[in-house]
Amino acid sequence: MAGSGAILARKRRTLILLLAPLTLMLSVFFLIPLSIMVIYSFLEPGLYGGVEWNWYPYNYGRILGWPLNDFETFEVIYLKIFLNSAQIAVMTVIVTFLLSYPAAFWVSRMTGARKNLALFLITLPFFANMLVRIYAWLLLLRPTGFFNTILQSTGLIAEPLNLLFTNFSVIIGMVYILTPFMFLPIYASVEKLDYSLVRASQDLGANPIQTFRRVILPLTAPGIIGGSVIVFIPALGNFIVPAFLGGSKVQMTGNLIERSFLQSRDWPFGAALALLIMAFVVILVMFQISRQNRAAERGIA
Amino acid sequence: MNMIKYLKSGVAIAASVMAMTSIASAEGSLNLYNWGEYINPEIIEDFSKEFDVDVTLDTYSTNEEMLARIQAGATGYDLVWPSVHMHDIMQKLNLLQPTNVNQMPGFENIDPSALRSKEDPKAEYCLPYAWGAVGIFYNKEMIPELTSWQQFFDYAAANPGKVTMLDDLRETLGVGLILNGASVNSSDKDEITAAEEFILKQKPNIGAFRYDIIPLVTAGDMAASHYYVGAVLNANQSPDKLGFVIPEEGATMYQEDICMLKTAPNTANALKFLEFMMRPDVSAKNTERLTNGSVNTAAIALLPDELKNHPAVNPPAEMRAKLQIFDDLGKSLRLYTRAWDRVKTN
Amino acid sequence: MLDKILSSRFWSWLFKGYGIVFLIFLYLPLGLIFVYSFNANSINMAVWTDFTFDWYLTIFGGANSQSEFDAAFTESPERIFEVVRNSAVVALCASTISTVIGTATAIALQRYNFAGKKFYQALLILPMIVPDIVLGIALLIFFVGAGFELSLLTIIIGHTTFLASYVFIVVSARLAGMDTTLEQASADLGAGPLTTFRRVTLPQIMPGVVGGFLLAFIISLDDVVITYFIAGVGSQTLPIFILAMMRRGLRPQINALAVLLLAFSFVVAAIGLYLRSRKT
Repeated sequence: MAGSGAILARKRRTLILLLAPLTLMLSVFFLIPLSIMVIYSFLEPGLYGGVEWNWYPYNYGRILGWPLNDFETFEVIYLKIFLNSAQIAVMTVIVTFLLSYPAAFWVSRMTGARKNLALFLITLPFFANMLVRIYAWLLLLRPTGFFNTILQSTGLIAEPLNLLFTNFSVIIGMVYILTPFMFLPIYASVEKLDYSLVRASQDLGANPIQTFRRVILPLTAPGIIGGSVIVFIPALGNFIVPAFLGGSKVQMTGNLIERSFLQSRDWPFGAALALLIMAFVVILVMFQISRQNRAAERGIA
Repeated sequence: MNMIKYLKSGVAIAASVMAMTSIASAEGSLNLYNWGEYINPEIIEDFSKEFDVDVTLDTYSTNEEMLARIQAGATGYDLVWPSVHMHDIMQKLNLLQPTNVNQMPGFENIDPSALRSKEDPKAEYCLPYAWGAVGIFYNKEMIPELTSWQQFFDYAAANPGKVTMLDDLRETLGVGLILNGASVNSSDKDEITAAEEFILKQKPNIGAFRYDIIPLVTAGDMAASHYYVGAVLNANQSPDKLGFVIPEEGATMYQEDICMLKTAPNTANALKFLEFMMRPDVSAKNTERLTNGSVNTAAIALLPDELKNHPAVNPPAEMRAKLQIFDDLGKSLRLYTRAWDRVKTN
Repeated sequence: MLDKILSSRFWSWLFKGYGIVFLIFLYLPLGLIFVYSFNANSINMAVWTDFTFDWYLTIFGGANSQSEFDAAFTESPERIFEVVRNSAVVALCASTISTVIGTATAIALQRYNFAGKKFYQALLILPMIVPDIVLGIALLIFFVGAGFELSLLTIIIGHTTFLASYVFIVVSARLAGMDTTLEQASADLGAGPLTTFRRVTLPQIMPGVVGGFLLAFIISLDDVVITYFIAGVGSQTLPIFILAMMRRGLRPQINALAVLLLAFSFVVAAIGLYLRSRKT
């Protein structure tokens, strides 16, 4: 009995040790600054940026329709912008997944030095500055750019296509900068895929599609979910890609929040918008995690 | 194990870098906080050599970005370059300190009409720096001659997606206001709504709202763009191909002043820099690079002909009369931001 | 059967072909940057004029380029060196610290059951979803209020707050469902937790840890907005420097710089790969 108590105590000590750095760091350098913004979101915007220390719940009213006063009217456009952003972010997740999943298998089946080389070649492009990479896409997609020139010279099209400053160019840009966010977690879970389970499934008479759906997909799911989360979140908040490749005609919540702080000088509204989006994403991800946990429990049972 | 080694060396590097930066901010330094691409780098070099001062230049791309940082408490900068209405705001917010630049030698060169600040009409605080019009930069191979906003929007209607406007709420709504005959500082709800509707009507024909259009217009990806007079630098490099014009209906203009922050750590060097900037040769050298309007009457004489005689850089009086500068709108700015949100979304 | 199918010639060709397409997608924009880094047109990199090496030379302070006119468009070598150095220091420190913190947290949440686990899961998502500008301004207000001097250190702290979450996610994906029998065996044989971690757990999760580190490094290297707000005087990083010049379009000098940085990472990684392959 005493022994198990000692083990338990040691386990607790290890756990505390493991969690302490994160807890300390986030509570000081994250939760305190974040609470500043929470407070700001309920204050009146200062005339020239900053805040006036007056209770002011109307920032939320402008987005949600309630509560309102004489100055703040409900505008449905903020919800519209949010839906558009979510749509682009989801598209980005799907495309990065479709690109990365087979690539992860391709790499995982290599051996030794070749595998390292392939991994290295895939991550190398991301060491070039993001702005430079986005700019390169601008040059590729513009009317006199690489794609249009090739398509025109092969006679496939007569007039240059409008590739730039559309949802399409925004999604391409997002996919390009976020691909490693999907690839790395997927690769981490594909690489440890236990092929004996795959063989067992086949021995039990499952066809390839069944094996894929019942064995391979669930085994690599942690990587897919992890990757989707860390692609979806930055895609939702990114404002540099829509500004450069969307010509600022494609609006995302990131642009709106940025503009509230840096053009309209309305910090509380920007803070309120940010907090609403954060609440939405946390609920979404927590829902996903608990579903996954339940599925895992069922799997074990 | 390796991790710890890395960590150690990382901390060591960081510590040594920190030590280096703190040496740099010792005596004999000057920290400038200016718009990106808004000063000839040679001038900083010249000043640095002549006075043996270590100059640091950090940059911003909107007035509000600079204000947000200063307001949130960023310190260490000596001089900033706010637009006139932002100069007024900063002075009201008590972020600036007097320099008595109007007592300095060289101030007699400053054009009295450039003292545009309402808070600082005698230039006790800030030195007028440069001004310029916001017009249209265009590719002559696509539009041989452009003179008006009307023509700009007509071209856009015939060639959708081939023109751009600035991603700036006051500049772009300002064009709508000008074309409706209103002031760009209007606080009238109906006038602003009319401007909003005008821009919204043009939006399907406008390729993008953006700043970095010079490469696109030069390459012929875009035919014409709402842009600052600084594009004359590029237009003068290939005058057969590129042009910049102030539209005949009128346009907006900007002016920046150099101001000393209340928290400035190197006031003596900052004052030296203000005096240096008033020298006609220095001012002219800067204008050659920025290709915008000069506030220094003695410097204008030193400019090369292609700038001195350029109708957009140094416009004749009747054109100047059609240029409007932004005032601080106070609470009415909200009308513009809401209108702009709708323009961008609908 | 599937195993056989996957290793059949047809499939292995298909995978290989796909791999090549994937790499083309990744490298096409870089190829363009490479080509344009030799473009002599100093004002507009989108229009090709002539072949030149000057942009590479100007980075190192050589070759005062073509004309006085161009000189006004080139940045001094000291300035470029300074921003690159700032970026490298920040990315290295921030990603190393956050890899340690993120990995520890991932192990705690995957290997232990405790009350408040859900709270930690939610807490870890938050730093990733706070929009950059909100976190940037909030951190600036906090640092100023708490009396921190803005410097590279504040940037490193700021980056670490959100990078740890990314590392956590990548390492967790690796830990999830990993076989724990080896760890148990090691513990049963009397190895202490630290030994077990070093000899058993760490080698197993290494791909996840390296992946998390790389991801954190890349994100830190590219961060513009948060860095901008919490940078002190003269501690601007490369992305801020580049963003500021974007209004007039990128200069070819920046292309040359990007190519050099890539070449540098390539050489460093190639040496690493070579050393590793010699060891095994």
